[in-house]
Amino acid sequence: MSEYLFWIPLLPLLGFLINGLLLGKLPRPVVSAVACVSVGLSFVLSLLLFFELRSLPPAAREIEQVLFTWIAAGSFHVDIAFLLDPLSAVMILVVTGVGFLIHVYSTGYMHHDKDFGRYFAYLNLFTFSMLTLVLANNFLLMFVGWEGVGLCSYLLIGFWFHKKSASDAGKKAFIVNRIGDFGFLLGMFIIFWQVGSLEFKTVMEQAPAMFVAGGGLITAACLLLFVGATGKSAQIPLYVWLPDAMEGPTPVSALIHAATMVTAGVYMIARSSVLYMMAPDALMVVAIIGAATAFFAATIGLAQNDIKRVLAYSTVSQLGYMFLACGVAAFGAGIFHLMTHAFFKALLFLAAGSVIHAMSEKQDMREMGGLKKYLPITYMTMLIATLAIAGIPGLSGFFSKDEILWKAFSSQHGHWLLWLVGFITAGLTAFYMFRLIYMTFHGKERMDEHTRSHIHESPRSMTVPLMALAVLSVIGGYIGMPHIFGVTNYFEEWLAPVVHGPGHQAASHALAAAGADTSMEWALMAASVILVIIAIFVARHFYNKKPEAATAMAEKMSGMKTLLANKYYVDEFYGATVVRPIVNGSLFLWKFVDVVIIDGTINGLAVISRDISEVLRYVQGGKVRNYATVFVAGVIVLVAYFIFG
Amino acid sequence: MDIEYQALWPVIIVAITSIVVLLQAAITRRHAVALGLTIVGLIAAFIAVIGVGPLLPQSVGVLLVMDGFAQFFMGLIIAAAIVTAVLGYAYLRRRNEQREEFYIVLLLATLGSMVLTAASHFVTFFLGLEILSVSLYVMIAYLTEELAALEAGVKYLILAAASSAFLLFGMALIYAEFGTMQFGPLADALAAAEDLSTPIVLVATALMLVGIGFKLAIVPFHVWTPDVYTGAPAPVTAFVASVSKSAVFALLLRYFFVTDGYQFDTVMIALAVIAIASMLIGNILALIQENVKRILAYSSIAHLGYMLVAFIAGGDRALEAVAYYLIVYSLAVLGSFGIISLISPEGRERMSLEDFRGLFWQRPRLAIIFTILLLSLAGIPVTAGFVGKFYLVLAGVAAAHWVLVVVLAIASLIGIYYYFRIMAVMYARRDTPAASTPTVSLSGATLLGLLAAATIYLGVYPDQLLLLIRRLVLTL
Repeated sequence: MSEYLFWIPLLPLLGFLINGLLLGKLPRPVVSAVACVSVGLSFVLSLLLFFELRSLPPAAREIEQVLFTWIAAGSFHVDIAFLLDPLSAVMILVVTGVGFLIHVYSTGYMHHDKDFGRYFAYLNLFTFSMLTLVLANNFLLMFVGWEGVGLCSYLLIGFWFHKKSASDAGKKAFIVNRIGDFGFLLGMFIIFWQVGSLEFKTVMEQAPAMFVAGGGLITAACLLLFVGATGKSAQIPLYVWLPDAMEGPTPVSALIHAATMVTAGVYMIARSSVLYMMAPDALMVVAIIGAATAFFAATIGLAQNDIKRVLAYSTVSQLGYMFLACGVAAFGAGIFHLMTHAFFKALLFLAAGSVIHAMSEKQDMREMGGLKKYLPITYMTMLIATLAIAGIPGLSGFFSKDEILWKAFSSQHGHWLLWLVGFITAGLTAFYMFRLIYMTFHGKERMDEHTRSHIHESPRSMTVPLMALAVLSVIGGYIGMPHIFGVTNYFEEWLAPVVHGPGHQAASHALAAAGADTSMEWALMAASVILVIIAIFVARHFYNKKPEAATAMAEKMSGMKTLLANKYYVDEFYGATVVRPIVNGSLFLWKFVDVVIIDGTINGLAVISRDISEVLRYVQGGKVRNYATVFVAGVIVLVAYFIFG
Repeated sequence: MDIEYQALWPVIIVAITSIVVLLQAAITRRHAVALGLTIVGLIAAFIAVIGVGPLLPQSVGVLLVMDGFAQFFMGLIIAAAIVTAVLGYAYLRRRNEQREEFYIVLLLATLGSMVLTAASHFVTFFLGLEILSVSLYVMIAYLTEELAALEAGVKYLILAAASSAFLLFGMALIYAEFGTMQFGPLADALAAAEDLSTPIVLVATALMLVGIGFKLAIVPFHVWTPDVYTGAPAPVTAFVASVSKSAVFALLLRYFFVTDGYQFDTVMIALAVIAIASMLIGNILALIQENVKRILAYSSIAHLGYMLVAFIAGGDRALEAVAYYLIVYSLAVLGSFGIISLISPEGRERMSLEDFRGLFWQRPRLAIIFTILLLSLAGIPVTAGFVGKFYLVLAGVAAAHWVLVVVLAIASLIGIYYYFRIMAVMYARRDTPAASTPTVSLSGATLLGLLAAATIYLGVYPDQLLLLIRRLVLTL
């Protein structure tokens, strides 16, 4: 079975090639069949391989398939090779499983779009890249997938390129991610330089011998990798592209900008857990950035009126949770939340897509309200996802969020302040999510007559994926229940051979086994549940019972509200401090250096010795004399440097 | 024939071909025949390059040395010349010029470049360079009706002449100091010399760097590039960017490896500064250009800077990396300028960004080919450009030249932006109907398709080429 591993990424690639090469020649049903079947088969194969992996003893759970040597230089070589281990198994199941549902959903959602074929070609290409990213057995191949998903992301954000905002958003994502990639590359170079290999297994085995634990080099490498992660996973300070990325079609937001691509940074850090455990300072930075992003993005989410933007900031915030988990060395918890988040956030986006679809492409929640009776399935599934993300006990989000909060509090890398930030964020999350639910589905119908007459529940191809994801959002958490419930945390055990925490797993096992004092964990859990319930009631009060109270409140705090609605003016800040200077710098180099200095020098000389210049003017036209001047200046500098330098 | 001269067959065949084409043009003017003779001659030369393998390495007098290194670069040059000839045919067919002479100067330029790769003496170094340069003046200014081409030719002539003067003066100083112009003995003399930092040696080295720097178009000797790239006919630009640079870089490698130029710290520091300046200035200036040829011109400055990073690192890694990158880079620039030649109708070339708007919707295949080539130039994975750049970086990292590596990374990230800009324009839909594009020559399009296919192939299976490089180039 394991020799079929490479088919998992290959199938979507084939789908891409078929749809891409025969663009515009295939009828729509064939296009969607090719796209969905390729990803569906990939999912089935992933499941089969997952069970094969599970049948192996825990220590031997590793299937590696080397296709061929890609790059070789001396003893160093990089292979095109895939590695299936417990960590990548989780990832491929999420990518192909959620990916398949979103493909199916897209057949309904994109039904009217004239670029149907191009859309599915991109979507398959994305799936291929993402699978390459998570299955790669070395950093370089991972980077290939990393770039690939980025490329597809820009293509899909700018899919409706006739909208200027869409192509601008694609551009922004592109530029911000360049900064992240720069960090990733440099981090990778440091690892290569020190270890002489880029293969995960070799690097993780040899890192303890090659790096000084806690030393500057390993810290630098980890921080640089983290810079890469902040770009791809939209963390402070590089998160600005994700909210704008909502210009793309909604299923794309669900697949790329919620469930899969943006979690690549979390995956990368979990994959490098051995390195991070050697760099406690880097871990601390990860934790602080993660917590800060979680809180910061949640506050922005409070004041957004565009339904997709609320979800976008919510994604940034939830990704912050995952990084917080990684930062306190609870990598397993981070991946656990990654998985549950993939279920409920994909569902939220798809449901939002269903709403937008029904509302004739309107996204402003102020023009919605009372949709509950028109869109019963959408409402029910979205409500389930909202309960899950809010952390209501019994749903998937509760288990994963609670584990993160507890680890933030109890881990030796944690701190009660980190817990507190996460705790408050949980309250904010519940508030803005229920604000969304109440503004969209409850209360007065605020849309115009024309829109109202067109409201309809979405077709089966869209609602069935919603229901499937709703089931997953409910049950997805039970594989990772906390020890204090007196059960085994299957998820943590499954990942244990790959992600290396500080023995916290052993510790908590021991704790549970010894029947030690678990009252603290119970107390914190209870506190967050109570906070969430209060937040829900507050949202209900403002946005359902007394909408006028919300308005009054907003007026009272108009300064705060403006700040939040404008996202703390971060975009404007970046525009003024980063973008303008680069553009100006480039213009400066060109205009000033080339035109003013070079021409100016010449002109200055010409004024001084006008006669000579007059003569020269007849001899040669154009600017070749300027070029010669630069040239000679170069010669003089070079010679002077060689003699005196 | 002496075995010494048998090793020179590739060079001799190209020289003979140029005379044959000259005679043919004198007897009857037939464009297709001229092209056919040129291609046949070049293919024969290519076969000869492979065929002389068993005779190598072989010194030819004191002037030339035929070895695996020369073999490799001659192969590259001849292949690029074939591509140029085919593109030139498609391009000239639409223009009212005397067409046959183009192939004569093309063959001569190829000849000069081949001499450069095998030069082991200042005389052949200079001769090769001049044969190349003089032919290039003609090629750049070939379209006598185009003012821009004439202007570019004259500019190139003036600046190249100046650079040759510096180069020659540098050679003379070296000769004055050491009494030899042959690379091998010069290396011995350098090794025996007690003090290498005498003013004469330093000035000589600096002046020679100027000459080489001009041909490679690295900062601050790059100023001619944008104008000449823009003004010259697109196939000629392709030739200048690929063949002329590969040949000069090959010479630089040989000279530095034989005479151990790496012992001069001053030189290496100067080269490092030049590399950094080239990478940054090339990429930053490319950002704001609105003309595809100018973008590629500035980007070529940056690419030469990237190659210098590996070059400075030295050792086998540098040779491998630079040889590989020259292939990758040549594929990409030949293809890119090839696209411009193919889509340009009679008269003005299509080279502004606006001319490329919506190309995908009119000529999807050409647009996809161009996309692949641009991705390769940008160093995006799965293309040869990524693997090539990775080797450059490996060489830099292995030598722990962190500043250079960091600048390379920053510069290529900036670079990606303007390559994507071209792509974005190609895939955008036009608001107004496009001006009619000429029918694209089938042979030209097929050729470009092959270049793109090779770019992908080398990005996924770089192994074969690398083995070849190891076998041939590392003989240096």
